[in-house]
Amino acid sequence: MSDLIGYLVTGLGIGAGFALVASGLVAIYRVTRVVNFAQGAFAVLAAMLAASLLGAGVPHGLAELGGVTLGALTGLIVGAVAIGRPGTSPGTSLIVTLGLGVLAYAVEILIWGDQPRSYPGVPGVADLAGARLQAHYLLIIAVTAPVFALMAWFFTRTDLGRALSACASNRYAAQVVGIDVRRMGLLAFTIGGALGGLAGVLTTPVQQVTFDSDVALIVNGFAAAVLGGLTRPVIALAGGLLLGVAQTLAAGYGGGAYQVEVALVLMLTVMIVQAARTGPVAETAR
Amino acid sequence: MRRRLPAVLLLAVLTLLPPLLPERHLATFVLLALAATVTVGVSLLMGYAGQVSLGQASFYAIGAYAAGLLAVHGVPPLLGLLAAPVIAAVAATLLGAPLLRLRGHHLAFATLAVQLILLSLLAQADWAGGAIGLQGIPRFSIGGFELREDLGYAYAAGFVLMIAVLIARNVIESRAGRGMRAAATSETAAAASGVAIGGYRLAVFALSAAFAGLAGGVYAFYLGYLAPGSFPVLLSIEFVVMAVVGGLGTIAGPLVGASVIVLLVQALNTLGTQPGMPGYAPAVLSYAVYAIVLIVCVLYLPKGLVPPIRDRLSVRPATPAPDHV
Repeated sequence: MSDLIGYLVTGLGIGAGFALVASGLVAIYRVTRVVNFAQGAFAVLAAMLAASLLGAGVPHGLAELGGVTLGALTGLIVGAVAIGRPGTSPGTSLIVTLGLGVLAYAVEILIWGDQPRSYPGVPGVADLAGARLQAHYLLIIAVTAPVFALMAWFFTRTDLGRALSACASNRYAAQVVGIDVRRMGLLAFTIGGALGGLAGVLTTPVQQVTFDSDVALIVNGFAAAVLGGLTRPVIALAGGLLLGVAQTLAAGYGGGAYQVEVALVLMLTVMIVQAARTGPVAETAR
Repeated sequence: MRRRLPAVLLLAVLTLLPPLLPERHLATFVLLALAATVTVGVSLLMGYAGQVSLGQASFYAIGAYAAGLLAVHGVPPLLGLLAAPVIAAVAATLLGAPLLRLRGHHLAFATLAVQLILLSLLAQADWAGGAIGLQGIPRFSIGGFELREDLGYAYAAGFVLMIAVLIARNVIESRAGRGMRAAATSETAAAASGVAIGGYRLAVFALSAAFAGLAGGVYAFYLGYLAPGSFPVLLSIEFVVMAVVGGLGTIAGPLVGASVIVLLVQALNTLGTQPGMPGYAPAVLSYAVYAIVLIVCVLYLPKGLVPPIRDRLSVRPATPAPDHV
């Protein structure tokens, strides 16, 4: 029983990381209809910078903040390249973000090398209802929960957030009432970058980061986001947590062998069932 | 005769070039021809069937492992090489039946997921060498004649590329090819005109997998060693880059795209391994090249290199340029 609680909390911690990546994807996709393949790169860049800053003696908190800022900045740059040229179709933008993700590899190796990096998080072991687990997982959960609450408040209660939601539900109508859709797209990319960066700096103490860890992050993030059709942040959150828990349970009880497959097979099944229920996806305008 | 000219030209290059190349460049030639073979399939898939596959390297891997495993267990290499495309195509058909319901970015991520699953399974499969890899694959041989030199493999790779190009050209010019081209522009309109879209999409998917499998088979005999790490996700992305850079929906496109990318990366690799360059230089340069070429091409040259060049060379500007080369 205490094993189960341990796996559950650990899973929620890992899942919170996926959920942050997924919500970044959702934030960008809702506004711009672009699936941002470089989402995992934000996390890696942020984590690498945080590790360097910590190594240089910058205190915890400030170093992580620096990482998240770099994530947001990278998000803005990726957005500017991906949607900056008028008339770029979402399909084209996907390929562009794919290219930017590979470009991030070059930058990361150039600056930080190709060895895995990590840094200490919250030290010690927590005791939770008889289950022993790394205390850092609790920090991940404790940070992620208010971030999601803040996002819910931002998207529904502030003018800027409402403008973003307006672009998401109807671009044309949003333009008509005077919202600069392209600028909102760039803002969405910046938010997505910050969320990806946050995922990176939070999970690095429990999971080493290498330049190519972005593939695992983006695939798990996409798997979580696709549950809600890439447009519903709450379902992305639930999906991320579910994935994290499912993977930890599979690893815990299955001997650690097939945890990668759990998420991927789940994602494939969800997408195929969705496609079968809605029929072929509506054609995109060319 | 006019329409045969490019094919004759390609044949001439593939037969005459290898003996002229110095030994150290033959390896590049082999890998270039194999990459071009896979890219012909990717270009068919993306340009004619409108599907992005980020997992094409999985069929390359399936073909390679099929040929390698059969050869290791004593099956004649020729039989193994012939089985490679068949097994890859069968795998693509089985996977494609559910996956090809998906479109656009869903399909892109689904194919990526398939490759990650395959790599993870291969790394855990002891019968396929596991994470260490499959070793001791014999050299390719027919009857008593064994292919030892790189030159022989250059011809084998060139032969495989020629087969892929000829099949692709004939498919494009067939009735099915016209139906697919219609479907790539508008699925609804094509379906309304009686094109059996689902069947064609699956057929192209299987065909592109067969090309990748065939190339993988040659790769297995050429290197004699296979590991899951030889087929990273980045390899799939490289095939997409080559297809996009050359120009989707043309036959010359994949050849030009693969040549440009492989030669560029090779040149930068030589530059990066010069004395005095830091150890990370080759990796950084090749990632940067893939990324920048892809981004610039998609944004500023969306049709790729071949169509603009072809239009400029067109002798008869009055009539529209043919869709094939």
